[in-house]
Amino acid sequence: MEKVKVRLTVNGNSFCLEVGAKERLLDTLREQLRLTGVKEGCSIGECGACTVILNGEAVNSCLVLTGQLDQSEVVTVEGLAQDGRLEPLQQAFIDHHAVQCGFCTPGMLMSAKALLMKDPHPGREQIKTALEGNLCRCTGYQQIIEAIESLTGPERE
Amino acid sequence: MKRKLAGKQGNRPLISGRDSNGYFLPESLAEAVNLLGQAGEGLKVLAGGTDLLVDLYERLIEVEGWLDLGLIPELREIKVRAEQIEIGAMVTHAQLEKSENIKKTLPVLAAAAAEIGSPQIRNRGTIGGNVVTASPAGDLLAPLIAYNAVLELVGKDGVSRVPAGDFFCGPKQTIMKRGQLLSRVLIPRPSSGTIGCWIKIGKRKALVIASISLALVVRLAKGGVIADIRACFGAVAPTPLEIKAVRRLAGGKRLEQLDFSQVGELAAAGIAPIDDLRGTAAYRRNVARELLIQALEKVQSTGGEIIADQADC
Repeated sequence: MEKVKVRLTVNGNSFCLEVGAKERLLDTLREQLRLTGVKEGCSIGECGACTVILNGEAVNSCLVLTGQLDQSEVVTVEGLAQDGRLEPLQQAFIDHHAVQCGFCTPGMLMSAKALLMKDPHPGREQIKTALEGNLCRCTGYQQIIEAIESLTGPERE
Repeated sequence: MKRKLAGKQGNRPLISGRDSNGYFLPESLAEAVNLLGQAGEGLKVLAGGTDLLVDLYERLIEVEGWLDLGLIPELREIKVRAEQIEIGAMVTHAQLEKSENIKKTLPVLAAAAAEIGSPQIRNRGTIGGNVVTASPAGDLLAPLIAYNAVLELVGKDGVSRVPAGDFFCGPKQTIMKRGQLLSRVLIPRPSSGTIGCWIKIGKRKALVIASISLALVVRLAKGGVIADIRACFGAVAPTPLEIKAVRRLAGGKRLEQLDFSQVGELAAAGIAPIDDLRGTAAYRRNVARELLIQALEKVQSTGGEIIADQADC
């Protein structure tokens, strides 16, 4: 068996792909599907720049083989905006100056999105936990947390 | 073992599509065992991939093909039975962390799972992978030993069961033989008087390999007498380690009869730490002593509220 056949839904579109047995989801997304919003940072699961949402959960796409993903559903940062309109989370990042160099931003957005999909009203601690696998080397964490908090409404305790 | 060379830009491994290799996705355990039995060393058993794909990227392993356990439904199940809790090898850290059953029956294990890596890692990484990888710092290992877990291994010669405390024999080394798979982790259901504590110390608060960790599980009989006590440490020896002297000293006594400092000394004396980038041996001896004292105090004062604590450094 040389190539693995995988049926995959990415940002709502279905694909039938042939991938190498050692091909990472990160490579498939960037090189086969040209979704270059997915960033390669550390390649070993420590920086979170390559975070995407896989079947509703945040994952590092550098630590997933595409061969593992038959019948799976993937959302990348390109899948957030709809009909040419930014999704509220993206707009909040802009409004709260949560973007500096921008390299961590797609991963931060996807980790935040995965959290909000499960819990629309997370507290600050939950937000920080959701982002613990995402590094921002510009160190702009405060603005990122504030951007997410601006969407969560009153904290439920 | 080769470590990654510095300056990865000039030394990028070619992982993408160019290599064509085998990829096997068995749908039953029997089929998986059969495939593994026919294969050579190059066929790697793939669970969550959060350790293996790092090793692949860093060129620490040679991979000729994958045996992906992702399609075997029974390996993803948590079953709570009257006598024991059965956890499939492909159950993720996130499942353990969030499962109400695990939180209720095995809170020390749930607390440890909640502190592994990051949400991204916990969503993929599995209990089976954590066990078989057998890192001295693997976060689930000390809790499993503390709970008297038994590991179920399946091979072409049948099923065998090994206590978690006998499974590890060195850093990344276990007694598992080629051709065997870890299928389930079986944990005797703790009795109602069981209390415990999990503490992980690291250089930062998240996404950190433990400098030292402690899983303490105490089973109290009627009248508060210690029927069993397991103090198990991670990252202080070539394998996760139970300090059995604690059991001998404390068994049959009540918590308030113990001199916690004396128990702490057993930990400092019983571990076999090394100097590495996460701490020196001397640091680990000091911290092992203090953690055990702290854990005993917490268990005594809170009646076993689970604490998941980290150093502020």
